[in-house]
Amino acid sequence: MTKIKTTMVFLLFAGLLFAQEMTGLDIMLKVYNRPTGDDMTANLTMTLENSRGDQRIREIKQFLKEMGDMDKKIMFFISPADVRNTSFMNWSYADENKNDDQWIYLPALKKVKRISSDSKSDYFMGSDFTYDDLGDRHPSQDTHTVLKEESIDGVDCYVVESIPKDEEYMYSRTVTWVVKDKWIGLKKEFYDEDEDFLKRLTLKEYKEFGDVIIITNVAMKNEQKNHQTEMKLSDVKINTGIADRQFTERMMKRGF
Amino acid sequence: MKNLLHKLLQTPKISLIIILALTVFFFMQMKSKASMETNLDKYMPQNHPAFVYSDQAEEWFNIKDGIIIAIENTEGIYNTSSLDKIKKITKQLQKMPEIEKSDVTSLYTADNIVGTEDGMDVKAFYKRVPKSEEKLKELQQKVQANEMVMGRLVSADENVSLIIARIGDDVFTQDFYNRILDLGKSYEGPENIYVAGRPIVEGTMALLGPADMQKMVPIVIVIIMLVLLVLLRSVKNTIFTLLVVFISTVWTFGLMAFVGIPIYAVSTMIPVMLIAIGVAYGIHLYSHLEMTLLQKSHLSTRDAVEDMLSEMWKPVVMTAVTTAVGFISLLTSQVYPIKYFGLFTAFGVLSAMVLSLVMIPAGLMIFKLPKIKKPKNSTQSNTSFAHRFSNGLLKNKSLTIVITGLIIVISIIGMQKVWINSSFLDKFETDSDIVLTDKFINENFGGTSMLSLVLESDNKGAFKNSDALRVVDEMQDDIESLEIVGNSFSLSDYLKRMNKVMNADDETFNIIPDSQELIAQYLLLYEMSGDPENLWKVTDYDFRKLNITVQIKSDNSKETNKVIDKIEQYRDEFAGLGIEMNYAGSGYKALVFTDLILEGQISSLLMSIIIVFVLLSFMFKNIRAGLIGSVPIIITSLISFGVMGLLNIPLSTTTALMSSIAIGIGIDYAVHFIDRYKINLAKTEDMKLSLGKTMHHSGRAILFNAVVVIAGFMVLLFSVFPPNRVLGALVSLNMFTSFVGTLTVMVLLIKYFNLFSKNNQRKENDND
Repeated sequence: MTKIKTTMVFLLFAGLLFAQEMTGLDIMLKVYNRPTGDDMTANLTMTLENSRGDQRIREIKQFLKEMGDMDKKIMFFISPADVRNTSFMNWSYADENKNDDQWIYLPALKKVKRISSDSKSDYFMGSDFTYDDLGDRHPSQDTHTVLKEESIDGVDCYVVESIPKDEEYMYSRTVTWVVKDKWIGLKKEFYDEDEDFLKRLTLKEYKEFGDVIIITNVAMKNEQKNHQTEMKLSDVKINTGIADRQFTERMMKRGF
Repeated sequence: MKNLLHKLLQTPKISLIIILALTVFFFMQMKSKASMETNLDKYMPQNHPAFVYSDQAEEWFNIKDGIIIAIENTEGIYNTSSLDKIKKITKQLQKMPEIEKSDVTSLYTADNIVGTEDGMDVKAFYKRVPKSEEKLKELQQKVQANEMVMGRLVSADENVSLIIARIGDDVFTQDFYNRILDLGKSYEGPENIYVAGRPIVEGTMALLGPADMQKMVPIVIVIIMLVLLVLLRSVKNTIFTLLVVFISTVWTFGLMAFVGIPIYAVSTMIPVMLIAIGVAYGIHLYSHLEMTLLQKSHLSTRDAVEDMLSEMWKPVVMTAVTTAVGFISLLTSQVYPIKYFGLFTAFGVLSAMVLSLVMIPAGLMIFKLPKIKKPKNSTQSNTSFAHRFSNGLLKNKSLTIVITGLIIVISIIGMQKVWINSSFLDKFETDSDIVLTDKFINENFGGTSMLSLVLESDNKGAFKNSDALRVVDEMQDDIESLEIVGNSFSLSDYLKRMNKVMNADDETFNIIPDSQELIAQYLLLYEMSGDPENLWKVTDYDFRKLNITVQIKSDNSKETNKVIDKIEQYRDEFAGLGIEMNYAGSGYKALVFTDLILEGQISSLLMSIIIVFVLLSFMFKNIRAGLIGSVPIIITSLISFGVMGLLNIPLSTTTALMSSIAIGIGIDYAVHFIDRYKINLAKTEDMKLSLGKTMHHSGRAILFNAVVVIAGFMVLLFSVFPPNRVLGALVSLNMFTSFVGTLTVMVLLIKYFNLFSKNNQRKENDND
């Protein structure tokens, strides 16, 4: 939802040129640019499960806001108890060459610290999602092909294969089932560098708020490690007009 | 039995054809079904608590053995070529189907967690290989500042860097081993590439041992054949004596294949046992035949062979049965390969007995008696030598007793020093490539052998508690103070690093944080920024379990036990915190496994001595005969262990099995001698004369037997594989001591206890 204006122009042309057939890139851009509201407040429950069936559950209160050429996100841990009030802030930029800015506040240390990573391929908080998987990867970084159209449980989908332009990228390819007209991924399969099947993302639930669709339950299963993560949103509120000053180091310390 | 053997004599051809048919059958079985079992884990008793625990812990923390590839550039590793090689080797290893991508660690894959003024930074050391001078310098500085990498992946002198690929127990194959070695070789020059690590050592051993045996065994057989030829003075006799050994070996392995039991590493010792034990039957039979013919040259073939059978079938059956029972006592072992080893060797020994009693007479019937070349004055001088020896022995009995007593005392002292070694590396030549590579890596890095210490508590979050972690940290410092320990690694190292990094790299914060909250928050932070998978190698989801890895510079059992002793000092302190301690990992399993083998070996040794005593008493219907007959075995075992202790040869799976040979051979000598003595005494009723006669008859055959086997096994002293050398030396030693013990100490005991003599024989003693 960052580059809405440029994309709108682009889409206008694309729409004129390929009025009938949508290309893979068109579809993936539609997904990338699907409106998700100006801001969102929700409770996130993240359930991690390893191959032995051990579970870890984290409860997080999160705030998101789209601000021009950047997205800001702030997360407050509610449980487990020993990390309560730990907060995490992320500023993600439309400029692909600019790395995200990230801060963490550790209440036991009473300090906000910047953390940085050079890789979008890092896993998010020990889950099976990378930052890229969570929607940070721009479609222009891959080459997309529509493999076929398919109906899954009565839902019509485009099946799009995406191959990264950078050969060193962690996935050799992904295949996404995109729901027609809704532009949400119903499922997605990831193949590792050696082209072996790695993991599968499954959409379990979504909610429509007017023309905004919010995915409220999604699971990722790493088939090689037999490890999975479920992310569930509850109490979702959109467009409540969260103030810009909510996304500062001071607020990280203060809590929600 | 006797009647049956005589009946078989009437149809020698049919007997031979049946034996041939059976041999062909077993050979076909062996050819089509035999399989080697090389996975060492299959040897371990799967339900032993130590193994069950270790296997479980290996699964919890993904504990695996690492193949270590070291890349050395004497000009330093911070140059474009060496860094490129590190990257390429890493990627190639990651692509191998046997290796999981995340199990490869190198400077290329490692995360560099560094503190910055306002926070923390997690980056790769390099993605694209740095080319410019400044970039290389920058990388060098980054490595120097990170103690989680410096000294672990890069050596202190910055000339060596490691690439570690951890592999599961079940993926190792010969082909994989070759591919790894080829991979290393292809990157040689100007850098030196070394390949090491437990899987490589195990792999090399699995290849080198049998390969060396394959080379040496034919030479052993040739030497035995030549010596037999000289002693038996007959090509036919030599061939039949050896055929007994070969065919019994084929039957044994054929039966193994037939019932579907794979060939384990210890099973390769079966032929060794059968050679050492099996030639005896032929030698005794032919020796008796020759002596009979020398006295009664007019005998027809049939009569001579019948005489041989009636005189000799009993001692041959007795020796075989007692030897077999000795091996069967190995069934008490908890280790399946050892059970099978005992069972099948017993089968082999009994086969050799049957073959000797059927095939040798049949062969004599068909191919006629060997021509006895009467050596000029041999019989006379032989006889007189035997008598002179036996008389001299009786005269100087105090000398024999003193020497024997002395040897026993020294042996018992030596036995105290016997130690057990489960080391693989110690099995190689000290200047072999594999030992030198290991030494090289141990000099530059933490250590090539791993011991995992697993801590467990009933309470969730136990290892987020700073009190518990402080004890862990203190213990790690303590272990690391041992010279043999290079490094140790646990959750505490992560926390100390995080604490330091989050406090602007201040060294005073390189300690365990105070509060559980801070620890939990650091861990959360680590998960956000590092590779969270790493965390599950040191703890579990609930922080109830902890895995502490200790890197040891040797896989020698003595050294490993030193480390364990140190760790054990903390058992009570951990118990006070509600924490239980256990060990895991392949090195530890090998340690326990070796103990198990030896425990079984020693108890079965004791048991077989008792069984032998009972059997002998029963066979000779005389308890004294049982006691006296057991003496050579006891002396042989004592000396065998004593010499090992004195020469610092540790007990291992192969050397432990040597005691079985001591029993097998010792008992044969004793039985032959006692049986012949009983016959002679019954005839002459003169103890001295009987002893001399027996010395001439059985003593000669025993001497031949000892000479043949010792000559053959001495060949193994030229083996390139040290365990095979030890094997050769110990078999020869056991043969020698059994031989000497039987013909000296046992003879004296027979005399002293007036074995088999009637009451009135006392007067004999007055002559001395």
